[in-house]
Amino acid sequence: MTYLDIESLQVDYRQKNKKHNVLFDVNLQLPQGEIGVIIGPSGCGKSTLLNVLANLNQDYQGRVNINGQLPIEHKGTALILQDYGLLPWKNVWNNIKLGLDIRKVSKEDSKMRNQAILNKMRIADLKKRYPAQLSGGQKQRVAIARSLVLEPELLLMDEPFSSLDALNREEMQDILLHLWQETNLTILLITHNIEEAVFLGQKIFVMSACPGTIIKTFDNDIAGDYSSRGKVEFLEMCNTLRSYLRKEN
Amino acid sequence: MQISKIGWKTVQFFLAIVFILLSWWIFALLLETPAFPPPLEAFTSFFKSMQGDMLLHLRISFYRVAASLLMAAVLGIPAGLFLGKNPHIDQYISPVIYLTYPIPKVVFLPVLLILLGIGDLSKVVLIALIVFYQILVTTRDAARNLQTEYIVSVKSLGANSLELYRHVYLPGCLPAILTSLRLGLGTALAVLFLTETYATSKGIGYFIMYSWSSMAYDKMFAGIIAMGLMGFLLYIFLDGCERYLCSWLNP
Repeated sequence: MTYLDIESLQVDYRQKNKKHNVLFDVNLQLPQGEIGVIIGPSGCGKSTLLNVLANLNQDYQGRVNINGQLPIEHKGTALILQDYGLLPWKNVWNNIKLGLDIRKVSKEDSKMRNQAILNKMRIADLKKRYPAQLSGGQKQRVAIARSLVLEPELLLMDEPFSSLDALNREEMQDILLHLWQETNLTILLITHNIEEAVFLGQKIFVMSACPGTIIKTFDNDIAGDYSSRGKVEFLEMCNTLRSYLRKEN
Repeated sequence: MQISKIGWKTVQFFLAIVFILLSWWIFALLLETPAFPPPLEAFTSFFKSMQGDMLLHLRISFYRVAASLLMAAVLGIPAGLFLGKNPHIDQYISPVIYLTYPIPKVVFLPVLLILLGIGDLSKVVLIALIVFYQILVTTRDAARNLQTEYIVSVKSLGANSLELYRHVYLPGCLPAILTSLRLGLGTALAVLFLTETYATSKGIGYFIMYSWSSMAYDKMFAGIIAMGLMGFLLYIFLDGCERYLCSWLNP
């Protein structure tokens, strides 16, 4: 069943009375419970696409449907930004609780859910720390915890692991995969990293720049397999994707 | 480590006091005038005056300064946050602020005396008006320069405008707000002194000028010390507020 359905999406950006076409004729379908990865050059409007889905930008043309609803109607969307978006003035506990506070979840319920997600993400001992006292990987765990505590259906991630070193990045990819298998989340993730796209994305959408549009969709059967890294099929898929991206840029 | 840090700070503080008192004492010796008594004489007079009517003057001055800072903060902080959050409105208000900011508001003292009378209100409003601008401009600029990722991430959690103010704008701008309050405090005390030298018979400014005109220089210095201490205590209070409310800055 198609969970995310985007048809002929167009987003314009006005600057000094000039109209810039950021996204043009974007078509994307993602079934429920799958991980979709968007890959493409910088400035191709990937983040704009996520903003439309997260209802942060309502100024678009075309049809955007999340589980049969418009982005403005769909309450089960969570967004994780590239720089994590954690508030420096709130400690880990309160950063995670923020979404629950905004959704007016009762005190006891929110305390219970907060503690559960802290344990699940193995960050319980960090709960009193402020973001400035955390490493990149820890911040990422907190950002994921803050999204998951709201029990979303759709998780949007904007280059979530781009500022992590190689080992941390692989660890976070494994954690994400594990969470996905547990929760049956639908995930749409932006990345610059070809290996990441192949490791995580059951569907890989290649975007071109100026204006941004999806030029190719790959179905990737080896996604979601922890042992796939280093296997021949994995490297072959990476090479296919790499040569396609080179050709397009 | 923490203790030695605090210990070193105390030593620095103590050394600064010694340095100020020593310089004061040397100046007094050099000037050799009753208008500039040495520290011991001035402090003796201060403690004596505190048992007399100076405490009443001090209380009134404190009320005026605290009330005006509060009034300036209550008006300036929300206005600054609002303008910083809404640049499309700020573009119309900004030129008005730009044009009126450099006007020395203290020149409005006679106007305020006529409009609001010679009581406390005209003094409080004048000080508040001056400090209001400092708070408004600092808060607005801080709100305007907040990283968009904080706003976007909290918006994506479903926050409405009010929740954005509560969770992002106010706490994010608090360090800047407290800095503007500390700077405003210095201005407020200077203006307080000025307002208390006109059309009043209460307040530490009046006490100082009255002692001066009656050549009671020791009392005059007692007043100066009282004014200085009041500023110092208010400054410490704001410093404490920052340490308590913005503990995330130095975790």
